[in-house]
Order: sequence, then C-alpha cells, then structure tokens
Amino acid sequence: MKILVLGIGNPIMGDDGVGIHVARMVKDRFRSQADLEVKELGVGGLKLVEEILGHEEVYIVDSYATQDIEPGRIREFSPDRFEDTLHASSPHGTNFVTALELYRELEPQRIPEKIRIFTIDIKADYSFGESMSAPVREAASKLAELLATEIQQASAQRKV
Amino acid sequence: MTNVTINPITRLEGHGKIEIFLNNEGNVENVYFQVPELRGFEKFCEGRPVEEMPDITSRICGVCPEAHHMASTKALDAVFHVDPPPAAKKLRELFYNAFYVADHTTHFYILAGPDFVMGPNAPKAERNILGVIGKVGRDVGASVIKHRSDAMDVVAMIGGRRIHPTCGLPGGVSKPISETERARIEEIAKSEIEFAKFTLKLFDDLVLGNKEYANLIRSDIYTTQTYYMGLVDDQNRVNFYDGEVRVVDPQGNEFAKYSAAEYQQHLSEHVEPWTYLKYPYLKKVGWKGLVGGKDSGVYRATPLSRLNVAEGMATPLAQVEYKRMYETLGGKPVHATLATHWARLVELLYAAERMHELSREPEITSQNVRTIPTATPDEGVGIVEAPRGTLTHHYQTDEKGLVKKVNLIVGTTNNHAAISISIKQAAQGLIKKGNVSEGLLNMVEMAFRAYDPCFGCATHTLPGQMPLEVNIYNRQRMLLQSLRRP
Repeated sequence: MKILVLGIGNPIMGDDGVGIHVARMVKDRFRSQADLEVKELGVGGLKLVEEILGHEEVYIVDSYATQDIEPGRIREFSPDRFEDTLHASSPHGTNFVTALELYRELEPQRIPEKIRIFTIDIKADYSFGESMSAPVREAASKLAELLATEIQQASAQRKV
Repeated sequence: MTNVTINPITRLEGHGKIEIFLNNEGNVENVYFQVPELRGFEKFCEGRPVEEMPDITSRICGVCPEAHHMASTKALDAVFHVDPPPAAKKLRELFYNAFYVADHTTHFYILAGPDFVMGPNAPKAERNILGVIGKVGRDVGASVIKHRSDAMDVVAMIGGRRIHPTCGLPGGVSKPISETERARIEEIAKSEIEFAKFTLKLFDDLVLGNKEYANLIRSDIYTTQTYYMGLVDDQNRVNFYDGEVRVVDPQGNEFAKYSAAEYQQHLSEHVEPWTYLKYPYLKKVGWKGLVGGKDSGVYRATPLSRLNVAEGMATPLAQVEYKRMYETLGGKPVHATLATHWARLVELLYAAERMHELSREPEITSQNVRTIPTATPDEGVGIVEAPRGTLTHHYQTDEKGLVKKVNLIVGTTNNHAAISISIKQAAQGLIKKGNVSEGLLNMVEMAFRAYDPCFGCATHTLPGQMPLEVNIYNRQRMLLQSLRRP
C-alpha cells in the first residue's frame, strides 16, 4: 500500500486515544481509495516500526503530553526530532527511533520514503474512558481535515 | 558535605521513581520504588458484557496483549462454566507459545543483550540493539528480526491479527487452522528451535564465557532469596498456558499448589501509602516488609521462578539446558536475579519445541474448536504465565454476564516487593560514601531490568515503558543527584 495513516493510542484511556479517533475519521473520508491504508494500534517501538515498513508515505497520529502543553494543539514532527518518546517506547522492544535505525540498517528497502508524525496535545491524567475532552475532540476533527487534504494532494501527485 | 546537584527534571506524569536515601556516611539506607497513580480501570469495566474483556484487557499493554487475551479467555471459560474442546486448547497453547518465542527473542537481543553483550559500563549510546548488532554481526541482526517476524506470523494466523488478537472465546477459539497453515507453522517452529539453540550458544560464549559477567551473575548484590511461583503441568513441568500454580520456598521445597479458583486463599495484597502499586504476598507466611527469606511472604514470579518451581521442562532439548543451568549455578533453587536472563533462553527453547510438537498433533487442524456455553455466568478466574510472571484475571458478573467486579494481578505486580528489595540490595552494594557514577547507576538498574518490568500492565495502561527517575537524597532529604532513564 502506498500511503498509510496510522493512529496510535489507547482507545480506553480517553484523550490518549486521540490518534485512533483521527485515524477513524480519515478512514471515513476515504472509503474506497485503493492506495490508502488506515490502521489503529496501541503499540510502540519495534512493533510500531514493523507496521510502517513497506509503505511509501506514512502519517502517524498520536497524542502528545509533556510539561508545556495546550490541550488540542496540533504539532508535526519528523522522526529525527525524537530522542525518545513516552508512548512510542518500549523496554521490551526498543524506542521508536532506535527501532527505525535498526530496520534502516537491516532492511533499508522497506523503510518508507516519507514519515510524518502529527500529534495533538493532551493532558495525561491516566484515567479510563472511551470519549475525548472537548478541545481534543475539536482538534481531532481539524487534524483529520488537514490529513485528508494532504493525502488527496499526495495521491494526485502520484498519478501525475 | 552536601553536594547538591540538581538537574532540572520536568515532572512528567507517568514517571516511575526510584528514590535512594543515603545515611550520614553516604551509604544507602533505604530505597523506595514508586509508580504513579492510575484511576478507574475497574469502574470502566463495570456493566460491560464480560465477553468484551479479552479485547479490553489486551489493550492494557501494547507489549503483551496476547497474555492478557489468553488469561481473559480462560477466565471467561470459568465464568461461563464451559470446557473447550481439546483442539481449541491446543490451538490456544500453540498460539501462546509462538507469542513466547517472539517475546523472549526480542527481550534477549534488545533489552538484556545490550547489558551483557556490550557490558554494563559501555556508553549509553551503544547499549542498545544496534550496538549488539555491531558486535555480533548484521547476519545475526537480520536473523533476529526474521525469527521474531515468523513467530508473529503464527500469532496472526491463529489470533486473527498480528497485534491485539481476537481468537479467544468462552469455550474455545474463533476459527480452526488449515493444513496449509499447519504445515507453515511446523516449518517455522523448526527454524525457531535452531535459532533458540543458536541464542543459547551465543549466551554461553559471550556471557558465561566471560569471567566478569559470570561473576556478576553469581555476585551477592544480585542475589535475593525469596519464595518462587509458576504454573506447572501434572508432572510439575513448566507450562505457560495451563496447569496449577506451584509455590516453592527459598530452599526449593513445595509450599503450595493451587488451581486458579483458589488463588485468594493463598495471596493477599499489602498496601503502602507512598506508592500506587500493591504488594501481593503469600498469606500463609505473612507480610514482614520489604525483606526476603523464608519468614517473609514476598515471592517472585519470573522466568527463573518458573524454572525454580518446576521439576523439569516438558521438551527434550530444553530439559538438557535446564539441567545444565542448574549444574552450572550450583543447584536448585537459583537465587541469582541475573540468571533470569538465562532462564528466559531455556524457556525460549521450550516454547519453540512446544510449538513444533503442537503443530504436529493430529487434532490441531480439527474443525471442532468451540463448545457453546449454556450455563448462567457468575464468577471465574483465569491464570496463565505471562512472560513477566504469573497473570491472574478474576471476573464477577451478574446473571446476564455483565461485569460486576474485576481483579487483575499482572506479571510485574507479583514482583513489586522483590524489585524493591533487589534495587535496594544492588544500591547498597554499589553506592558507598556518596559515590554514584552513571555506570554504577546502570548496574543498579540491571537489578531492576532483570525482571523485565511492565508498568503498563501493572498500572493497567499503555505504555509498557515508564521513564524512570532515580533520585538520591542525603540524610537531610536534600537532593544530591537526579538521573533520568527514558
């Protein structure tokens, strides 16, 4: 599959699942696009990298929670911005960046050409629930729109 | 002489903390290991159809969803008072051993490997899988990811998905496997056996063959005497999927053996005000604090524990390795925490052999993989061995099968007390007169990492990893040093 949208998070941990909600919104917009795949996952590190291998363009959506956050703020990163991350790390695998380097070393032909990471700021209060708070929900819709536009453009460019 | 060095640490929620308190001489007096608070998992589950639990609980942790899925499925069997047909049990066990192969392989090369292969004092940037590959070669690296991937293919074949499996149902599994799938699984299993043997040889050459590491494994700072717990089959051999829970005392004598439904007769949970995680302990011994020994109810559930409680391995090659490990380390039980890494490799070999055995059972392609429940649901317990320790799921429902109560004891929680003891022991042995180096701190962490702790599971949340903060205070509670582990 050429384009992959991957939503990451825990769908039973409220705002932490925002990545997954965004992925679902994107999926609803593109019901029958042949070159697009949308996945939802609650994993990090090695398993995360294994899921993106073999695609050409990858959009990863996750939550973002550190000291200075504004709930609902949308950010974009490329993988080289991370030294380490909370949710994309796993001691039982390795952190996302190291896992990416590992596969770059061993299976370079399967590494996606483009990896873009989008996050939405959340307040990590570690409580259970299936719905999002208002600012995060609004941001999720906005980000889904943004991604839809990006994907449409990227898809159009491929056909040229 | 209070040398205060404070690194500005942004206080993240979701930090694990190791707090080390020094006395006036600069030696370690106390160590506290804390995990932050989590709210509402039980509440979240209340009122839901209990059949949702294998899916919900497999989201507790992105690392071992398979373990939760399996414990949950077995709990459902108990809640609905239904016995799966033999083929279903074999498929579940086959699935589960494939998961173990993937998990234990990953753990050794990616987590444990860097400590042993690169050495505890190697620079941080090299203490990871890339450093390991630099040392053992790209071919080995490629082999690691191939074998991991193949094992996960088997998980996907039976589990329905590579991640977050969906095959578990009360009374069986959701689908049988075809002959084509079975043949492929058999082929993969054969390759996994060879790879497990190779890994054990690597451990032998790089770790046991190295006097420094061999001594490290046997050293006092990493040796703690406790009770041990693990699942065993009817011949007291290690089984990850099913059996009875067996507990042995620090001398290796059987102390208790119980079936899943009886767990509350044997385990209680102690609560301390300064940490969210509870401390399970053996009721009949009692809680004597964070100490080891025969009079303390602290127990461990780890790969080493499983081998300590068993009387052998159920497959031939693993049995040879089991005997060799105990002969090398001076008999049973082994109390050396770092030997857990060796035990994990013996288990890896067993899991691969067991995969192979099960793939060749005539019943494994049977179409009869489900017994439909007919009884009214009420209460049930399911226990499996998660890679990190004995995993217990206990559900109570109303007569419609809606959840009333949930209790989980996850792998790492069993070891909460022992982890604290091990860290304290290592810290006391290594931090003297206020001298703490990065290398020393890493050696303290080695005590902790041998348990392969999963705080995702222990606090019922993603991720498995919690960044760890290690703070060292003097007698006046002034912060001397603060180090962070991402």
